[in-house]
Amino acid sequence: MSTTFQLNGETCRFDGDPMTPLVDLLRRDRFMTGTKAVCREGFCGACTVHVEGVPVPACLRPVGLLEGLSVTTIEGASRYDAEARRLQAAFERVDVVQCGMCFPGMVMNLSQFLRENRSADRDAVKHAMVGNICRCTGYERIVDAVMECLAEAHSPGGTDV
Amino acid sequence: MSETERTIMNLPRRDAPDKLRGRTKYTNDRMDATTLHAALLRSPEPAGRIVRLDVSGALKCPGVRAVAMAADAPGLFGIGIADHPLFASDTVRYIGEPIAAIAADTLEQAHAAVAAIELEIEPAVPVLTMEEALAPGARLVHENWRHYEILFEGGSRRGNIAWEAKSVRGDVDAAFARSDVRIVESTFRVGRQNHVPFEPRVAICTWEDDRAHIQTSTQVPWTVRNVTGKAMGLPPGRVRVTVPPVGGGFGLKFDATIEPITAVLARKTGRIVMLENSRFEETTTCLCRENADIRIRSAVTADGDIVGREATVLMDCGAYGGEQIFLTTMTAHTLGGNYRLGAVRLTSRAIYTNTPPNGAFRACNGVYNTFALERHTDEICAELGFDPIDFRRLNVLGDGDLGATGQVFDGDVLGPMLDRMERLREKVGSARERAAGRLYGRATTVGTWFIFVGPSSATVNLNADGSATLVTSGVEIGSGTMMQSLPQIVAGQLGLDPSDVIVKQADTDAAGLDVGVGGGRTTVSIGAASIEACVPIREKLLKTASEMLQTPPERLTLRNGRVEIAAIPGSGATVAEVVQRAQSIGGPVTGTGSFTAKNVPAMAGCAMGHFIEAIDIPVFAVHDAEVAVDPETGHVEVLSYSVVQDVGRALNPRAIHGQVQGGVVQGLGYALQEEVTLGDQGEIRQSGFESYRLPLATDVVPVAIDLYEGAPSMGPLGTKGAGEVPILNTAATIGCAVANAIKRPVRQIPLTPPRVLRILRGGEPELPHPHISSDWAQDTLD
Amino acid sequence: MPGIAEERLIVAETIEDARDALRQGRAVLAGGSWVMRAPVRGQALPERLVSVGRIAALGRVEVEENGYVIGAAVTHIALTEALRGMPQLTGLVTAAATSANPAVRRVATVGGNLCCVDFAASDFAPALLACGALVYLETAQGPVTLPMTEFLARRAEVLPRALLTGVRVPRSVRASAHQRLPMRKAGDYPVAIVSMAICGGELHIAVGSVEPVARRWTALEQALDRRALDPERAGGLAETLNDFNGRDGIEADGWYRREVLPALVRRCTAALLSGESR
Repeated sequence: MSTTFQLNGETCRFDGDPMTPLVDLLRRDRFMTGTKAVCREGFCGACTVHVEGVPVPACLRPVGLLEGLSVTTIEGASRYDAEARRLQAAFERVDVVQCGMCFPGMVMNLSQFLRENRSADRDAVKHAMVGNICRCTGYERIVDAVMECLAEAHSPGGTDV
Repeated sequence: MSETERTIMNLPRRDAPDKLRGRTKYTNDRMDATTLHAALLRSPEPAGRIVRLDVSGALKCPGVRAVAMAADAPGLFGIGIADHPLFASDTVRYIGEPIAAIAADTLEQAHAAVAAIELEIEPAVPVLTMEEALAPGARLVHENWRHYEILFEGGSRRGNIAWEAKSVRGDVDAAFARSDVRIVESTFRVGRQNHVPFEPRVAICTWEDDRAHIQTSTQVPWTVRNVTGKAMGLPPGRVRVTVPPVGGGFGLKFDATIEPITAVLARKTGRIVMLENSRFEETTTCLCRENADIRIRSAVTADGDIVGREATVLMDCGAYGGEQIFLTTMTAHTLGGNYRLGAVRLTSRAIYTNTPPNGAFRACNGVYNTFALERHTDEICAELGFDPIDFRRLNVLGDGDLGATGQVFDGDVLGPMLDRMERLREKVGSARERAAGRLYGRATTVGTWFIFVGPSSATVNLNADGSATLVTSGVEIGSGTMMQSLPQIVAGQLGLDPSDVIVKQADTDAAGLDVGVGGGRTTVSIGAASIEACVPIREKLLKTASEMLQTPPERLTLRNGRVEIAAIPGSGATVAEVVQRAQSIGGPVTGTGSFTAKNVPAMAGCAMGHFIEAIDIPVFAVHDAEVAVDPETGHVEVLSYSVVQDVGRALNPRAIHGQVQGGVVQGLGYALQEEVTLGDQGEIRQSGFESYRLPLATDVVPVAIDLYEGAPSMGPLGTKGAGEVPILNTAATIGCAVANAIKRPVRQIPLTPPRVLRILRGGEPELPHPHISSDWAQDTLD
Repeated sequence: MPGIAEERLIVAETIEDARDALRQGRAVLAGGSWVMRAPVRGQALPERLVSVGRIAALGRVEVEENGYVIGAAVTHIALTEALRGMPQLTGLVTAAATSANPAVRRVATVGGNLCCVDFAASDFAPALLACGALVYLETAQGPVTLPMTEFLARRAEVLPRALLTGVRVPRSVRASAHQRLPMRKAGDYPVAIVSMAICGGELHIAVGSVEPVARRWTALEQALDRRALDPERAGGLAETLNDFNGRDGIEADGWYRREVLPALVRRCTAALLSGESR
């Protein structure tokens, strides 16, 4: 069985074991290492990718289930996803990054959250981050950056994407 | 503007854009199609003798390129004592101990081959707890302990006591015998803490020109170099270590562990070999913050003077001595810190058990000794009727007071910091109403840490384009030191913009000795070496410019990337022009600097078995927390958290705030959620993210922070390291606040909901600590 | 090209396809959030699998005359969205909306949750028990319907030969509530769960995660008068009628799971009453 899907807008065909977790295809086969394999069981969020625009853990997605679907990784989102880029800019601005390994997953999860929750409060942002663990920062500054993005989206000059 | 003033700024991190876009290549991102993957055969038994190890079947497996075993790297290594082999050869001492390694074309093939190794172990009864290890007639974890090479003289050892450090100052017996004192005694027990760095321990080695080149996720490139040499029987100079960005360390990567294995396999195969711990391996063989058992006794007068204190701290080092050997030193400065003591004696022992070895973790030893000390202090207050904050004000270390090893403290720091905390609390206000019917408690605690200095070196090359290259063995583990404070310091010295300071990644072939990133030392030690490296560069620049501008050097200044006549902004020449000129006359413009410990004096004869006798740079912290406890489920919610931290001078206040928030949250995890328990074979039961509960976004609060500047420091520009310390008194503060909320003593952490509920319902067992005598002298060797 | 029989993974388009694959010994792959974690549990992934995620009939939530039919492949998040406007199903919605973490809720399915025989901390098991749900299975002999209690008791034996296609929650549910107790505020599996529902005038109380398999708390149901329901009284009775034998686990010991039940009963009762009054 071979599986064909769209990966960051390009056709990706995989002839290996269809039960291969997407994260392994990305990292070991394509050397796209922006997607991090940390816990490999859906708790840490570091391998979050978008499948059909929905953030899911790439460790729990067998490649065989992706036939015909569209997958975006941090590499793709950093180029094409305006919300992800806005978030990345905010993270830089508030100096939140430390070791940095959780951030690709944070960006992938929170960019989608921002798109769908324009009026979220701090508590809602935190609940949206429950599946994205950060061992370094203590989270609050990440939340600050998300709140900045939300305020920006609400401000008259803010661009709604 | 002085050099110091222009060094201070909220410089953002240069590595953030790549990290945010997934472009940063951590060590575990550096495999390619030609990389061999290694897997380990680990001991399934906690104790026993290897009676058969047959790899012939494994070698025939598809894709297998090499196998490594004890014979390939027979040298023992360690800290203080060389007790640790790279692979178990005859004896296994913990579940998960490496026995053999296989390199194969794919990871799956390596695992399959490992499964084909035939291993037979004759099991022995494991020694699982410190109580068992210290019992009369206990089986020795290291039968051969007497014959190990001693790497550092002075520690006492016997059997399962891997190391003992003592400090004795004054006549403690006399103090306890006084008729006007009350004696308060407390016992404590703390569990292990797992670092859970997102990047596990991982290394990639190539064998180049008959030398190992190891790329690794480490905090200590020079230790990796030396240990690899020692294990393989090679001069350490045959090993080159380079360090890509590190995906979190927190102390776990302060030791060489798997790196030498990659060197053995790379040498055998001539190929690139990568070894990465799986998350299961990483978690279950983590060099955790050690579990510890503590007894403290104090003699206190009715006026609140602590005239005598004695304590014994047992630290579980697991199967090998490792970092705990060194950490026995710390007790004198952590448990012996905070307060002015009449007479004091402390014993600190590292104990062997058949459990996974422990290691270093942010504010090693300090977090639990501060927990024990601060809870003991509150128990003193409860027994003698003192207000806990008044008692602290009365007793905290001040100018001229003596530490446990007799060093003299300089300046009043903790006292004014307590005042600042009071003001911070007033400013922030109370979150009590959020307790909403639950039990409410609050506590303020103090803590003493120190910046571990030791050798560092730096070279600065000033380039013809006006940029500078800083070459050190410093490692960026996430704390930002290499991205922020160091380029800021060099830029400040040379009048450059920090973005014009290139910071080279650690490479033991390029930079001089460094003891590594840990203990909050990088800004101080590498910073000081960097400043020294800038001295000849400044001289050369000023001299050259003086000739170019026909102005005496003392009227010149370095600023804004120019050498200017001080009185005339915008005058003079660009640094680039001056460098080009200087190069043409005298060759490249470079400088080197070195730094090491200043060895603040202790009192003669006070410290025995200590690696350092006094602390060069003390650091103090005052924390305050409010908690709410659910009386029906035992859940503790942190309502507010405030920190006043002694930072000496804050070069990048925003970055320090980030470190404080992160460090406090790691401490909250340690205090409340992060539990490591050992199974009946001494194995770590919490093997992954499901059972090892890290703090999540919903568990934390924004920390209110006040950076206390101006305390004496020998650090460059008055700095002290700031990243290590924030975790120091978190467990203490939470422990005291919970005790105040539930009106019952708290003697163990973590305060998980079941533990708190058990305390509330009177079911928490006492801690008699039969293995720590109330007679202090019984707890010491010789 | 290997024949279809040798394929590691086949994607079923119909219930019949899936049922046939099951008969050939294939394991069912739904959201993957449990199966894909096999290596972390030290287990091998199943040799051959059939994915049921693309069977349209399994992905629907339908409101029928006498019940809500929830397809087995409906994800937690999809269920939350489908039932959000039905206050009487608050218990089930809470179970779906708060389990695990947001990313897992996007992939994990109702069927997967119920079919993990070793997963004692399932949120759906007590929630569906309390609602008096029926479980739809497709077997070689045709469709079979089992009450939740029976399904939970027999699933280890039944599932290798039967495909779980969905569950039906009766329309008679008037109000429901779900109290779960994770060790953190969120993000981990609850160590104890109390689910309550009022179905056709009867009060149902189910307890999950305390024992290896969720079950109804019949002693407490019988002691509580549905009309004079009061949180304090319910909690008090829960203390005296506590007949649970808590399971020891890494995350919590059995005594703790048992010990917190009265508080959860009280809180769940309060939530149930406030939902009912709304």
